[in-house]
Amino acid sequence: RHVMAAPDLLDPKSATHNTKPRLSFSTKPITLTPREESEVVATVMKWKTVTAIFLLVVLYLVMGAAVFRSLEQPHESAQRLAILSQKLEFLSRHSCVNQSQLEELVKQVVSAIRSGVNPAGTLTNHSSLWDLSSAFFFAGTVITTIGFGNTSPHTEGGRIFCIVYALLGIPLFGFLLAGVGDQLGTIFGKGIAKVEKMFVHWDISQTKIRVISTLLFVLFGCLLFVALPAAIFKHIEGWSALESLYFVVITLTTIGFGDFVAGGSEIEYLDYYKPVVWFWILVGLAYFAAILSMIGDWLRVISKRTKEEVGEIRAHAAEWTANVSAEFKETRRRVSVEIYDKFQRAASIKRKLSSELGFSPAPELTLPRRTVSVNFNDERDKIERDAGLQGLTTPLTRNSGLYMNGLDPERGDISIIEHLK
Amino acid sequence: MNSVGKSWLLLTGLIVFYIIYLLFGALVFSSIERPVEEQLRRDMDALKQEFLNQSCVSAASLENFLVRVLTANKYGVSVLRNSSVTSNWDLASSMFFANTLVTTVGYGHTTPLSDTGKAFSIVYALIGVPFTMLVLTACVQRIMYPLVIAPVCLLQRSGLEPRPATVVHFVLLLVLVVLCFFLMPAAVFSVVEVSWSFLDGLYFSFISLCTIGLGDFVPGTQPGQKYRPLYQVAVMVYLFVGLMMMYLLLRTFHKMSDLHGLTSFLQLPRCEDSDVDEDREPIVDEDSRTANHVTEKTASRHLDPASQPSYNTINKG
Repeated sequence: RHVMAAPDLLDPKSATHNTKPRLSFSTKPITLTPREESEVVATVMKWKTVTAIFLLVVLYLVMGAAVFRSLEQPHESAQRLAILSQKLEFLSRHSCVNQSQLEELVKQVVSAIRSGVNPAGTLTNHSSLWDLSSAFFFAGTVITTIGFGNTSPHTEGGRIFCIVYALLGIPLFGFLLAGVGDQLGTIFGKGIAKVEKMFVHWDISQTKIRVISTLLFVLFGCLLFVALPAAIFKHIEGWSALESLYFVVITLTTIGFGDFVAGGSEIEYLDYYKPVVWFWILVGLAYFAAILSMIGDWLRVISKRTKEEVGEIRAHAAEWTANVSAEFKETRRRVSVEIYDKFQRAASIKRKLSSELGFSPAPELTLPRRTVSVNFNDERDKIERDAGLQGLTTPLTRNSGLYMNGLDPERGDISIIEHLK
Repeated sequence: MNSVGKSWLLLTGLIVFYIIYLLFGALVFSSIERPVEEQLRRDMDALKQEFLNQSCVSAASLENFLVRVLTANKYGVSVLRNSSVTSNWDLASSMFFANTLVTTVGYGHTTPLSDTGKAFSIVYALIGVPFTMLVLTACVQRIMYPLVIAPVCLLQRSGLEPRPATVVHFVLLLVLVVLCFFLMPAAVFSVVEVSWSFLDGLYFSFISLCTIGLGDFVPGTQPGQKYRPLYQVAVMVYLFVGLMMMYLLLRTFHKMSDLHGLTSFLQLPRCEDSDVDEDREPIVDEDSRTANHVTEKTASRHLDPASQPSYNTINKG
């Protein structure tokens, strides 16, 4: 699986489009082939690399946060002092306000907002937008390319540093995302493989298994990375349900408008809130990359299907009907002959046994369970095998019509018809 | 029509459909958001009038006033007298917004105000983002040949070894992209936008083309901007082409590092395209059908990005 294409690791977003979906396990074979062992080895090595890269990224973020803080915080304090003095001056002159004064006030307010300072409310206990944890968060939004924009650098030095920082940080984060995505895919793939093994016994076709496992992946991931965080945000931030969901989607697709930001309002947050949010963003991004690439696949498939479907359906239908009628005739003929043979032989055995042992219960023959395959050749053999191992004194039973059990020629025919359908 | 012509037609169709998708999004956003914006604008006017009627201003009412001004400003509605009457949700601006949505830049200078707008944004983004990636990939595949393969071959024929040739070509491409998509647009922006310096323009170009999109600088949002719709469309085109060039750069770099063994050194997946028939690669893979019959072996097979047998196998059973 790791040999699959992921050409542009350096850009986190291209992971979504340019590749075989990294987290899609749809081509994972159901049976473990010898190749799996080498995959496991490759996974182990990559885990160490991923951890190393993760630590590097965290270090990089902390460094960036420190630099941003030292560049931006003085500028921010100066702005805050200016707006405070403006406000006090206005209040002392509040008898009869004319329009020009009002405009001036509003202009000041707006420019304060653009500097990231909220003049409303008391400014004394206003937490800085550039303290360490907020700066860390900002650095995270830069290298994940989300870019909320609720805080942004205003000094020239801050902006230049932001450019250089992003140039190095984005590829770095791309590697990390690739690694995390792989790990996530491995975990899910292993879980799904176990589930698929269970399904194999239930005679469901491979197509259905894949569809079900894809659905499971999507649902479980949605629950874990979308629904749960949305509920948490709703509770802590006080947003509505829609706003929380909107925030989750806008963030995890790295659009990042910034109208809603977790940890961006005036509420008292727990200390570990922001780091946990960042960690959620990391894993959620990997999940969303898989989802988006899946949607991209579907779009591709849809565009191809409409082209192929018409010609294909016709070809398939013709082929299939020809096959079915041929098989039907052949099997019917053969089975009825075999049944008759077996019947005769079993009857003679029974007679012999009962005469030897002096009582009549007949030996039970257990029927092996068998899976259904779409290949017609296999079915012919299976039908043969089925017919060859019948306990003929047991009453005629059918096991969900999928293969034959027991028999007399009429019932046998019915189950064959059902099977071939 | 031969297969190359067909793939060109397909690409054109894809681009046309992409433009239509953007227009559609713009129309929907415009029709959803415009009424709400008008309402907010009227509220702001009423608030201002009420404030002026008061002879004395108390701290509490001032706070109230400020909070509401800020909330409006967050959504791009200005209460100043000389702000232009142009809406943030007319067609060109809505299209610009939709573009920022699907390229995942997401400036945030205008955001959906209504609940319906937000819900629509979610769905629009979930479909639009992979779709945009698809279009960008297709375009990059197309221009790979004239911009990468051909020059590298040219360099090799003029005597360079393969490895140095790719490095030289990559450096040249990098210089070209920086010149045309960062420095030149920065100069243009610093001229057209009144309050931007050259550094601001460069900063904006970089933040946009990396799809970070902080939103502190957004072209065309100054009051009194001339030819605003045309300007916004031009910026959209610039963003799209710029994004394409960034992907091209990344892809070239990845292939180059493949050649130099960097990717295997870092145990990363290799760039899976073969150089031989890449220029003949159609966007929508026509020979993926051969891959479908080898379901168990597809994992180890070299996959080019255009063939996605996984869901085909689901469809074919």
